[in-house]
This record gives sequence, structure tokens and C-alpha cells, in this order.
Amino acid sequence: MRSAFCLGFVVFYLTAILIFAVYLRGANKRMFYMLCTYKAEQSQLKQELWQKQLQLESLINPAAISQRLDH
Amino acid sequence: MIAAFLALTGRCFYLQYFKGDYYYSRCINQQQSCNPQRPRRGVILDCRGRVLAASNRVAVVFAEPRLIKDPKSTSNRLAPVLDMGAHEICKLILESRNPGYAKIKAGADAPQCSAAGRIYGIGVQYDWLRHYPMGRLASHAVGFTSTDNRGLGGIEFKYDKELTGSAAENIFFADVHRRPICLKERNGALVDGRGIILTLDAAIQQFARAELAKQRESYQAESAAAIVAEPKTGAILAMVSLPDFDPNDAGSVDANSLRNRAITDQFEPGSIIKPVTVAIAVDSAAVGRYETIFCENGNYVGHGFGRIGEYRRGFGDLTISQILIESSNIGMAKIGQRLGKERLYEGLKLFGFGSQTGIELPGEAEGLLRPAQNWTGYSVTRIPFGQEISVTAIQLVQAFCIIANGGHLIRPHLVRAMVDDNGAVIKLRPTTPPIGYIIKPEVAKWLVSDPLVGVINEGTGTRAKLEKWQAFGKTGTAQIARAEGGGYEENAYIASFVAGAPAEDPQVIVLVTIRRPNVKLGKGYTGGMVAAPVAAAILEKTLNYLQTRQPRLTPRDGRSEFLPLRAQSSPSF
Repeated sequence: MRSAFCLGFVVFYLTAILIFAVYLRGANKRMFYMLCTYKAEQSQLKQELWQKQLQLESLINPAAISQRLDH
Repeated sequence: MIAAFLALTGRCFYLQYFKGDYYYSRCINQQQSCNPQRPRRGVILDCRGRVLAASNRVAVVFAEPRLIKDPKSTSNRLAPVLDMGAHEICKLILESRNPGYAKIKAGADAPQCSAAGRIYGIGVQYDWLRHYPMGRLASHAVGFTSTDNRGLGGIEFKYDKELTGSAAENIFFADVHRRPICLKERNGALVDGRGIILTLDAAIQQFARAELAKQRESYQAESAAAIVAEPKTGAILAMVSLPDFDPNDAGSVDANSLRNRAITDQFEPGSIIKPVTVAIAVDSAAVGRYETIFCENGNYVGHGFGRIGEYRRGFGDLTISQILIESSNIGMAKIGQRLGKERLYEGLKLFGFGSQTGIELPGEAEGLLRPAQNWTGYSVTRIPFGQEISVTAIQLVQAFCIIANGGHLIRPHLVRAMVDDNGAVIKLRPTTPPIGYIIKPEVAKWLVSDPLVGVINEGTGTRAKLEKWQAFGKTGTAQIARAEGGGYEENAYIASFVAGAPAEDPQVIVLVTIRRPNVKLGKGYTGGMVAAPVAAAILEKTLNYLQTRQPRLTPRDGRSEFLPLRAQSSPSF
């Protein structure tokens, strides 16, 4: 009875370690994917900021101001 | 058993040897994902850092027409998502020449992209889109790009390679959901395009464009051009050509509007070239500065050069200054005869006529100055007052900058610096003073301060008088030659005026040319009537603007000695 319990415990423990090892093995790939995701998000935010700046430039340039003053 | 193993072996051999490459390529396609990276096109800025052209990444919703069996149904589903008309979307799908790609909407936001992507046959891709925040303000100088971001005109075309940068491609290993999990290899290095900083000032460009457009409309002229330049360096502060176009919508523009007339159009300059001839003559001692020439009372006839008359009235004895102030054709013809064809030709070549100035724009014309050996007696008397020679506006600006800056050789230029993605300067045009004289400094100084000031104060250019500064300049009214040859068109003129100020130390040169003002309006057609007021307005606004930025520019009020304008220094970015 006791030996059966120990055997079960060892098998369970080894299985858990194996599963965890496989999980760790894929960590590099998960990190890489997360990095790509964050880089894409950062790029998207930069583009939005740049878009805002372009919109501002089109409002405050001499031609636009002159047009508004004429109207 | 043996037969089974033999069959198995045969199958393995078949798969490995005959189908090996096929399965290998399928495996690679399944495992790997390619991500092409397109570089961002460089920005174009004016000299104060205002954005003239820039690229931004936008989401483009597109359709794949070959996959869409029912365009009407797809359009009806897509219309509320993109907030566009269903009919418009259907037309884009049906009329697309590319069965794999039909652009529906550029600049869609995230929810629109997400909803559109769920419709079969519709996809979303991210692409660079070129923006021109100032619209048509500096359209000819800046240029425009095609839909695939290639420069097609202006600086965009001339510096297309530097602005484009270089693309790269990343190859990833991907999982079953096509998510990248590891970088396999990188082909090339992504380098964004370089930025270009121009010598143009958007504020001065706006002054020039507004005044020129107003006058062109008032006189119903065919076209017009204006250039503002710094005489000491040749930097172009403004370059306007009308009609112009909006580079944000260059695809639907009339080809006539795409031409930059300031550099492509060549014309007989008329009287505006007279100061150049006088500069050459006085510099080579063919005539003295204070010499008097008899102007034949308005009728000069001779063997070998026909008959020369005056535009307004005849003159008797005139000094060299008065010849320019009154714009006497006979006086100029005699100066040309004194010079002789060789010296006149060489002098004009030194001033840059008959060859390109080298400005950084495509399509510059050379003008026409025939070699001296082809000249006749007519040529040596006509060229001095601007006939039998063709010039471009930029060549005239170069010549008058040389006169205004004391005779130094300069080259008109539009590009100030090139910067990389981080704003670090890669190339900077040196601002050291130019070396080499075309004419002696004392001749240039006399020409500006005596006859050219006289043109403004008492001559044909009185409409260009400024209140706060002493200006100098010259008018020009040229007839337009018949296209088929043989004389000039009736009532077809090019009215020109070149001006500069302050006369004591010229900081700005302005050239205005207006082609075919409508004579029937009865408002005049000469350079003094049509072009001079525009040049004066541009000059005044420019000097006020520069005075605001550089308070050491002192107007003429007798209070203090005149100080030079801004010092030549590296630009700040």
C-alpha cells in the first residue's frame, strides 16, 4: 500500500516536471511573440502620434492660417 | 510479410526520392512566415522645420475582385462598415484592373478594419501614405509621389533614392496560428529614408503665392512665376509657379499645371536683361559709368542691323544710368556695338545664360544663347535689350543675385541639408561666403545704388517703391515670339520685374514674371504696371517677416547705421 502510494507520487512528480520542462522549453518562443506584439503596438502608437502631428501641421501652416484669415 | 516490407520500402523510397522536395517546400511554407518591411519615406521640411511632405502608415481596406462572386452583396455589407456608398464600393471592385487588389479605403480606423476583415474577399493591409500638409503651397518645388511611393516631380523625384531608404525582409518560424515564434533570418537592413531640409521658407512662399495668384487672376494671365532668393548665398526662399496643383491629389491634375515654369519655361527677357549688359560693358571698360551716349532721338538705322526704335519716346543724350532708368533700346544697342559680340557673349555666359544653373529640380531648361560666331549685326544690337536670347526665370535670378551681392558667383539652390532618421545631419550645404567675381564689386555696387535705384525712384518701376526700405530693380516687357516663327504675336507679352532691397546691403531678390496678361482689359501689360506691384508686395512682406525674425535689419529712417541681416550659421533642427 505504501509502496503503491510512493510509486504514484513519483510518477505524478515526474510527469509534472516533464510538463513543466516542455512549458519552459516554449518560453523563448512565447517571449519572442510577445516582443513582436509589443513592438507592433509601439509602432502603431508612434504612427498615431505622427498622424496627430501631421494634422496639427496642416492646421498651423502659413497657407492654412492665411486661408482662415481671408475667410 | 516480405511483400509487405518490400511495399513499405518502395513507398518510403518514392516519398523520399520523388516527392521529397514537394513535401519539404510544403513544410517550409507551413513553418515559416515572411514579413516584408517597407521603409518609411523621408520627410521634406522647409528651412524653419515646417513639414512640407511626410509619410505615415495607414490601414488600407482592399478587395480581391477574383474572390468576390457577388460584388453588390459584398458592397452592401461593406458600405455601413466603412461609411461609404455601396455604389462607390461596387464601382471600385468592378473597375479594378488588378484582379487581386482593389483599394477601397485608405486610413480606415481599427474598428472598421476589424469589421471589414471579416467579410469574405476583403482584406486589410498597412501601407505608407504620403501627406502634404501645406497642399499646393510649394507643390512644384516639393513635387509629388505615385501610389507606390515613387517620386514623380520636384524634390521627391530628384532625391527619390535618398528619400526611399532600403527595404528588408524578416523570415520567421510560425506556429499553427501563424504567430511568429522565432526569427530565422533577416534579408537586408531596414533603413528609413533620409530627410531633406530645403532653403524654402513656407511663410515667404505663402506671401509670394498669394500676391502672384491675386495679380494673375486680376489680369487674367495665362501663367505666372515668382522666385525669392538670398543674393549672398543663392538660397531660394520661395518658388511659385502658377497654375499649380495639390500634390495630395496629383493623379487627377491637368499636365499643364505640373510644369514648374520658374525653371522650364524659357522666354525672351526684354528690358529686364539690360542691367546685365551694362554690368558687362562697364566692367570691361567698353563704356564709362558716367559716359553719355546719343540715343538718336528714337530712330536708329544702320547697315547690318536694320532699324531700332524706342518703346515710348525718343531720347537725345543719355548717361548710362539714364539709359537704364528710361530703358532706352537704342542706348543699349550702342552699348552692345561697343562691347562687340565676343565680349558680350562671354559676359552673358559668365552670368549663367545659355546653361543650366544646376538647381536641384528636374526639367530645368538651358535657355538659348547662340554662339558668338553665329551672331549677326542684328544680334549684337538686339541681345543687349533682351531679344534673340531666351532665358529662364531662375537664370535671371542668378544674374541679379550676382549683381546684388557685389559681383560674387553664386549658384541658386533649394536644398539646405540632409538628415537621417534620428535628425542627425548627414550633409549640410556650407554657408561660407562665395569666392570669385564675375564683375568687380565697385561696378556691382554702382549698378545697384545708382541706375537700378533710379529705375524705382524715377524710372519705369515707380510702382515698386517701398516705404521702409530703398529698393532697386528693373522692369521688362517682352513680346512673345510666334510658335511657327517669323515675328511676334499680336498683343502677347511677358511682363517681368526684378527687385531687391535694401539697396545699401541687399538681402532679398524677387523676380516676378506674368505671361500674357489680358491686354483687352485696358489695365496695362508692361512690367512696370503688372509685375512691379507684385514684386513690391512680396519684397515688403518678406523684409518685414525677416525683420521680425532678425531685429537687426534696420529700415531707412536715418536713426541708425544699417546692419547686415542674419549671420550665416548652421541651421538648428
